Amino acid sequence: MIRRYVTVVGTAVILAAACTGDGSSPQGAYQLSIAAGDAQTDTVGKTLPVVYDVLVEDSAGAPVAGVVVAWSVTGGGGTITASSTTDGAGIARATRTLGTVAGTQTAKAVVGGASITFTATALAGPPTQHSKNAGDAQSAAAGSVLPVPFAVLVQDQYGNPVESVTVNWTVASGGGSVSAPSSKTNGSGVARVTLTLGPDAGPNGVSASVPGITGGVTFTATAIVQPLLVKSLPITENYGIHDMYVRDGLAFVFAWNTGVLIYDVGNGIMVGSPSNPVLVGDVVTSDGSIVGGAAVHNGWWFHNPVTSEKKYLFVGQEGPSFGGIGTGSSGLIHVVDVSDLRNPQEVAFFHKAGSDSSGTHNFWMDESRQILYAAYYNGGVVALDVSGTLTGNLASRLIDSIRPGGAGNTYVWGVQLYNGSLYASDMLSGFWQLDTTGAQLTVAAGGNNVPERFSSDLWVANGYAYTGTWGFRGGNFGNAVKVWQIGAGGAPILVDSIVTADIVTVSDVEVSDDGKLLMFSTENGTNAGFWFYRLTDPAHPTFIAKYLVSSGVHTATFARIGGKLYAFGAKDPSGAALIILDVSSLDP
Amino acid sequence: MTFAARAALFLIGAPALAAQRADPWIQWGAHGIPVFTQTNIVPGDRTLGELRIVQPVVMLHAGALGDHLRLMAAVNFEKWTLRHGELAPGSWGESFVDRRHPHTIVHELMLSAPDLLGPLDGTLELFVAAGKGFVPFGTDDPMSRPVARFPVNHHLSQVLERAVALAGVRAGPITLEGSVFNGDEPLSPSSWPAWDRFGDSWSARLTLSPLQGVEAQGSYAWIKSPENRPGAGLDDAKTSVSARWERGPTYALIEWARTSVSHDVFIYRTVLAEAAWSFDRHRPYLRFERSERPEEERLFVSRFRTRRPLFENSILGVTRWTIVTVGNGVDLTPRSPVRVRPFAEASYVGIVKVGGGVFDPAPWYGRERGFAVSIGVRLGGGMAMPRMGRYGFPSGHGMPKHVDHASEGR
Repeated sequence: MIRRYVTVVGTAVILAAACTGDGSSPQGAYQLSIAAGDAQTDTVGKTLPVVYDVLVEDSAGAPVAGVVVAWSVTGGGGTITASSTTDGAGIARATRTLGTVAGTQTAKAVVGGASITFTATALAGPPTQHSKNAGDAQSAAAGSVLPVPFAVLVQDQYGNPVESVTVNWTVASGGGSVSAPSSKTNGSGVARVTLTLGPDAGPNGVSASVPGITGGVTFTATAIVQPLLVKSLPITENYGIHDMYVRDGLAFVFAWNTGVLIYDVGNGIMVGSPSNPVLVGDVVTSDGSIVGGAAVHNGWWFHNPVTSEKKYLFVGQEGPSFGGIGTGSSGLIHVVDVSDLRNPQEVAFFHKAGSDSSGTHNFWMDESRQILYAAYYNGGVVALDVSGTLTGNLASRLIDSIRPGGAGNTYVWGVQLYNGSLYASDMLSGFWQLDTTGAQLTVAAGGNNVPERFSSDLWVANGYAYTGTWGFRGGNFGNAVKVWQIGAGGAPILVDSIVTADIVTVSDVEVSDDGKLLMFSTENGTNAGFWFYRLTDPAHPTFIAKYLVSSGVHTATFARIGGKLYAFGAKDPSGAALIILDVSSLDP
Repeated sequence: MTFAARAALFLIGAPALAAQRADPWIQWGAHGIPVFTQTNIVPGDRTLGELRIVQPVVMLHAGALGDHLRLMAAVNFEKWTLRHGELAPGSWGESFVDRRHPHTIVHELMLSAPDLLGPLDGTLELFVAAGKGFVPFGTDDPMSRPVARFPVNHHLSQVLERAVALAGVRAGPITLEGSVFNGDEPLSPSSWPAWDRFGDSWSARLTLSPLQGVEAQGSYAWIKSPENRPGAGLDDAKTSVSARWERGPTYALIEWARTSVSHDVFIYRTVLAEAAWSFDRHRPYLRFERSERPEEERLFVSRFRTRRPLFENSILGVTRWTIVTVGNGVDLTPRSPVRVRPFAEASYVGIVKVGGGVFDPAPWYGRERGFAVSIGVRLGGGMAMPRMGRYGFPSGHGMPKHVDHASEGR
């Protein structure tokens, strides 16, 4: 009995000495290795098809039977058999059910002080839900590409992002377009598409749907039709800025006694842009013995298709109105050689002097015929031969001139060539069609057709003409833009008027190069600034936007630079400035 | 008399002169006119009446060194009482039109030496003055004259509120003055002259004073770019001729002036005659004026304002204003240091277009003939309103005798 007792106690002591903390086997006595089941891939929540097998061996490498192996989940969730006992081959088995979080999931087997980790990859389940991930509720210019793409997140039932799911995109409203009709989700479960907003102001909607998932999500964006200020460049108030001529990415700024300022606004010569105009060169033209100084008012950069030269800039000088506006005028046409844009030089001039003395105003050119047409206030309209080399006094270059309203009833603000006719807007006598056949100027039609207001600038496009009005006449302010249909023979027929409240003058009128957009500038009043109308129906323009400038805008012109449409404006003093607006959204 | 003797006399003479009058001496005065004016010469064919306090001024004059050094200061409060100008048909200038503009707060701040050399210059009297004030050109400040409402020709016949330095010489009845100053006109009641433009303009005036209270003057001023402060505007050449009588109970002035803008690009002319006669407590007066003025584009937000700064060297035209004004004032406090003098005046106003241009007064005002009436009270205390702008003239030579037309002649 005592011997048996000693034997039992001795065995217990030996076993106790060999046991690990769990008491199942001697500490450090076992080696573990993976026999099967590692590195499986399956869907989240699923039971792995291959059970985990761990081989338990003793220190000599012999399989050990009857050892209890403890299993536990160490990463990713899910379940696993709590414990199992090795069989005769030293194998213990466990069943692993993956957790619901996609990604790497781990579990370990522990025997004594030894352990080993099994790894599995849990894939997201089938898509069951989708939601907006990014890009919703943006606002941008109509017709523009939204800066942030619309993004949809596709997930399984546990919220795991699902990759390679096709998302279909549909423009629901607003008339825009998406960059692709469908796109696949990436590894983050996100599919993206870019929206180009529709042409009109207002909401735009895009629906996203995933096959197999009921319902969809709708993204919204707001298209804004609004000029965007990109630059306000101060101009010395001497008296400030009067007009601009923009071509080939160069803005010629006509700044009274400060002279002509040439800015790179996208030409590349000085790496300028509309948001960063860079001064290239400048010149103060002579005063031509006219009191008041250079009085640089307007200009035209002549691109001569005959010689392929871009050598000459014609500059209009607006001297004092002797006897008052409507009666007298003064000022020369100055010719500046801009072959070297950094160092422009005046080379010639034209002066309508003597008994026919008068001063110039706005220009238009028949470049192919090398003829400069100049509005000449009380001098009417002047046609000037500007072919060849221009030097000195160009008096001999005068081709013809005409006072369409006759003496005392002529004060021409501007001219424009259109379909072979020269159209003239006369402050006193209205809108005229002139015949230029043989370069001689004769009245073809029109005239004395705006008796209630003084006329101002003009633009002809789309078979229609638009003329501004100015000042105060007979109880009316110059707050109207007259719309004229150009008849078969070119004669103007008044068809509509746009009246803008609370202004005194419509100072400049222009239509965009694609004929879609009418712009006019206004002065003196609470609605002074830029006004924009759509020409879907050119006979009846429809208002789309305005950009108010309290001190007024003297002139405005369009320019297309880098694929965008810009409006350049001459802001009146105080605070004279060259204003540049991005108006692309107005002209989608 | 040798030069040394003259110098000695000058040095000892100053105290002697001071002895005739306290030395140093100081005078002050205050002035203002609550007035109701009504007229039918208003843009938009209507009648307008307004009650305002016009010409609110506090003045300080002081002398020292036997009156060889003199300070003249006038502070004008129209910035606060005439924020939108005084309703006054035909008035123009400093962006106001058909309203008289408020004057600058520092209306006058001049330091002068009326007799610079004392006896050193013998029968001649040299004088100098500098500060902010009137240019030696044309006639007296309208504030010192019988009619309360300013004449249309204020900007043709006076040049004021400039940084001016002047020198002059007087020989018996003849006085010759010359000055340099800044050409720019004030932009607002708070504005100061453009100091960098000091000296870009000049003037000269020759005055003949054969008798006490009788004088005639001819003057010329060349003013660079008055309408454009940076200096880019057209220049004015101004000419003025006038004769003035002020003896006993009678006062009379007749003047002719002409402003030529940049060698006759535009020309504005004026003739004005006015007279007053004092008897008992009454002082009836009369003014005839025919003046031309430029017509410029009015602001939409106020038909009484024109665009400033100017944007072009052009005008809409010229109008000629014929205004006949009659009035009478009554002195209610003849022997009091406080002056209370109610008055009433009425004007006929006629407007015609002169020459070319697109401005037509008929549609603008709804008429070419109209009226203006004013009823008010001249209030004052202390020193009476001086003529202003005659800084070299000692007492007894017209300035500063502190002529007060409302009480003159009693």
